[in-house]
Amino acid sequence: MGHWSRAVWVLGLVALALFPVVVTSPAYVAIGVFTLIYMACASSWNMFSGYTGYIALGSAVSYGVGAYTMALVSIHANMAPGAAMFWLVPLGGLVASLVALPIGAIALRVRRHTFVVITIAIFFVFQLTAINAGFTGSTSGLILPFISWNESYYNVPFYYVALGLVIFATILSALVRRSRFGLQMLAIRDDEDRALGLGVRTTSVKLTGFALAQFTIGMAGALYAMFVGQIFPQFVFDPLFDVSIALMAFLGGLGTLAGPLLGALILESFQQWLTLTFSNSSLYLILFGALFLLVILFMPQGIVVFIRDRVTRRAAREKAAVAAAETTLAGSRA
Amino acid sequence: MKRKSTVRVLAATTVAAASLITMAAASTASASSGGLAKGAPVNIGISLSLSGDFSADGQAFERGYQLWAKEQNASGGLLGHKINLIIKSDASSPTQVVTNYQDLISQSHVQLVFGPFSSLLTVPAAQTAERFGYAMVEGAGGAPSVFQAHLSNVFDVSLPVANDLMPFATWISSLPKGQRPTSAYYVTSNDPFTEPQLPVAQKIMSKAGIKSLGFTVFPAEVTDYTSIADKVAAAKAQVVVLGSVDVPTVSAFMQAFEQAHYNPKAFIATGGPDQGAAFLKAVGAKNASGMMVPNAWYGGSANKLSKAMVAAYIKQYGGTPADINSDVAEAYSVGEVMTQAVQATGGFDNAKIIAYLHSGKVMSSVQGPVKFNKLGENIDPTAFTFQWQGTQFVQVNPVNDPNSVKVLFPKPAWKS
Amino acid sequence: MSGSALTYAIIDGVLTGSVYALMATGLTLIFGVMDIINIAQGIFVVLGAYLSYEIQLHWGIDPFVGLLITIPTLFVVGIVVERAFMSRLKGPEKTAMSILVTYAVSLLIEGSLNMIFSVNDVQINAWYVNRSFKLFGVYFAYIYVFGFILAVVLLTALWALLYRTRFGASVRASLADQTAAALIGINVRRVATICFGIGTAVTAAGGMVFGATNAFNASSSYDLISRLLTIIVLGGMGSLGGALVASIGMVMLEDVVGVVWSPVWSTMTFFIVLVIVLSLRPQGLFGKQLARTA
Repeated sequence: MGHWSRAVWVLGLVALALFPVVVTSPAYVAIGVFTLIYMACASSWNMFSGYTGYIALGSAVSYGVGAYTMALVSIHANMAPGAAMFWLVPLGGLVASLVALPIGAIALRVRRHTFVVITIAIFFVFQLTAINAGFTGSTSGLILPFISWNESYYNVPFYYVALGLVIFATILSALVRRSRFGLQMLAIRDDEDRALGLGVRTTSVKLTGFALAQFTIGMAGALYAMFVGQIFPQFVFDPLFDVSIALMAFLGGLGTLAGPLLGALILESFQQWLTLTFSNSSLYLILFGALFLLVILFMPQGIVVFIRDRVTRRAAREKAAVAAAETTLAGSRA
Repeated sequence: MKRKSTVRVLAATTVAAASLITMAAASTASASSGGLAKGAPVNIGISLSLSGDFSADGQAFERGYQLWAKEQNASGGLLGHKINLIIKSDASSPTQVVTNYQDLISQSHVQLVFGPFSSLLTVPAAQTAERFGYAMVEGAGGAPSVFQAHLSNVFDVSLPVANDLMPFATWISSLPKGQRPTSAYYVTSNDPFTEPQLPVAQKIMSKAGIKSLGFTVFPAEVTDYTSIADKVAAAKAQVVVLGSVDVPTVSAFMQAFEQAHYNPKAFIATGGPDQGAAFLKAVGAKNASGMMVPNAWYGGSANKLSKAMVAAYIKQYGGTPADINSDVAEAYSVGEVMTQAVQATGGFDNAKIIAYLHSGKVMSSVQGPVKFNKLGENIDPTAFTFQWQGTQFVQVNPVNDPNSVKVLFPKPAWKS
Repeated sequence: MSGSALTYAIIDGVLTGSVYALMATGLTLIFGVMDIINIAQGIFVVLGAYLSYEIQLHWGIDPFVGLLITIPTLFVVGIVVERAFMSRLKGPEKTAMSILVTYAVSLLIEGSLNMIFSVNDVQINAWYVNRSFKLFGVYFAYIYVFGFILAVVLLTALWALLYRTRFGASVRASLADQTAAALIGINVRRVATICFGIGTAVTAAGGMVFGATNAFNASSSYDLISRLLTIIVLGGMGSLGGALVASIGMVMLEDVVGVVWSPVWSTMTFFIVLVIVLSLRPQGLFGKQLARTA
């Protein structure tokens, strides 16, 4: 990692950490919370799908499982509304990972294109169960213990917990990438049969990666439920959630560390801001679609790769220019 | 070298951050709420679903709110302050609803807030308002799940939905033996607004000896209703009670029934036929006759306030009283109730407004009297049943109400 | 459970299923020839429905006759979208990128339709929309029967085009193997553009029938596309016959489960079937054997 990219990481982290202090408007901090939740999810999604090339479109299963874990436990344990409920966030992640094991065992038996569809199908099975089962409150949803903190700082604890999730997901992602395990996932992406031939236990690598990725997404879902205060099946098991986080990762740069974070930061905050600003929603759809189209067509590799290419190309050009100048100089001196 | 530059960056950011914090602290201090200056407009913040699943209702609600603001402004505004509505779109999403109300209250510094559309968004919206100490007066969050949240700031000016079908069920059970239908089919989408309504009706009707031939729940997100409708048609029940939230659902059932040459003696749908012109346009004006819908309000209401609103609506948007979506009246009632609370408390202090609304005073609205219980449910309204008779939309239940006309029973044959 | 409800469920399955088959064929054709998953297919159907609706409203042209206008119109729309956006997609991530691009196109069209037509639901109406006739003691709705005939006619025409013409031969060659097709001198690019046009054009017919059997607005597209996608996956991506069988099978399965059990579980049953089928046959019912790492 060059010192420039390290500086960018540090700056980014500092900016995110200071955001609620600088921007005190609750509305913008709320946008911040949702944006961070998406950043954590996109980063975590990328840790499996970006590294292995297996595009999963059923992450909302983990999100929903996390959300329902938070809601059901806090309701049935008669928890006092307040900060103690944050302890249920990791529990949500754990349950999501456990649920992901059998799902992965079924879905990962097939290769990429089919995997996408199986994850979608399994997602719908979960959504429909939440809609029709009794213990989920079915269509009436579940109402969590009401946290009556004053609204002017209500968002702030959620913001920092969400930031914690982002940091956790990023560090995990970076560690995995450098590990042997991460290299095995990348090998699967490049050529699964070859990886298998070289002795990578592809099935267990994929399953472990899949379940690990669901942990942060489950935590994010639990945090969302606690933040919004009421959950409905169609909002926590939301097919658009699946599309969104995949979109964010693609937009930022699939398989890169910073890409999904940047993609989520741009897309989610932009989308919320756009809806907030344009009460004319048709115009909003058109604007969003058009911008989206432009980015994909002009930066098909994602923003991070696009910028990195520019920077390296410029550096290469400068280097070449310097080299050329030196040659000329040397020539003139001779 | 590398280490040094990182340190320098860190130092620079710390300085920048520190100065920003100071600035932010200064700006927070200057932003205080305070009373309303003379001549300043009173801002009311609303989040509505102008796109997405609830957009048709959201837009009707917007008309209702706008119409109320215009009429109220014409008669001097609120305590002499001109009303200014700030409406944000939430695309039917709970995350956006939270952001919107936070923005309205903390950024736009609105004095009052009105509710969003749909029971699904009401709780997150009301919780946000509650944390700011704002009253959430709303017209479309009447599902039991809203009141289960036990929030102290929610006030639903409309009829609690669970009791909607009672007048219809009571009427049909009271018919003389020879006329009384012998069988009924209950079919509902699994929606928090419709599902609680049907068992109430079923209980009353079963007691009167009307046999239940079936109770089917179908998923709300389905778009092809043909097979479900065919199943209901095949049962050949004399009464069909349909739990629907929108026009397409009702229209699909009507179409399938007609195609199966099945015409129940009575057909009531919990939502759809109340949408005025939009309903007629989708099902065809001729086929609407006999269709019934439970509600608290209709365009032909004899209520004096309602008549004035209808006149104002027609002046603004054209059409006939039957064209007016009942969402308009629900939104309008929110404005009226808030007007009375503001006038009674003599200001825009939300704590006083909440206390007043909880005091059990009876207020008036285009939908009739409004009185709140502890949960914020309106316990005073009368539930009505309305029916399309030709292209006229009329009140038929309760039968002893002087403004009710005779029910068109049995329902005329389909003709299209 | 009455037998007649079951009969109706099966008839519905065949009649409505054939219309879905028409829309799904376009989608699977586009995928087979171009490796593109066209998320905009749903909104194209809605666009087709609105066009038929408007033509009938303003010019009084019967929706079936109006297809003579709407089918060519959507063909042109398809060509334009392909030329403007799809032709730029290249490389190994092409399929994934196509999902994003067509989703964006879909958002653009949805926003425009909302702006033009508002979000109030409309429905296409004609004398045959609500009427039915009796045959062997069973009622058949005219609109479903007409829709079925239309679907059969168009699918036959499509089949003739693919199996009886020179152009069809190049399409089939591209379906089988794009690289090989290019090597034997087929202009794969041109074939792709025309196929995208055809794939879009069939939505005009599907949209017309959809708009006559359902009240719709722009957001109806979401439900449509999710159904169409699952159909072509079940049938096998790129398989035309598979799309036909899967459409009818899926609608019938949903209807029958809805009637004998509960509509609430019918969608779920379908997805469970999908998971089981794909676990056993990853290429779908009629899909061609996938390449090693695909």
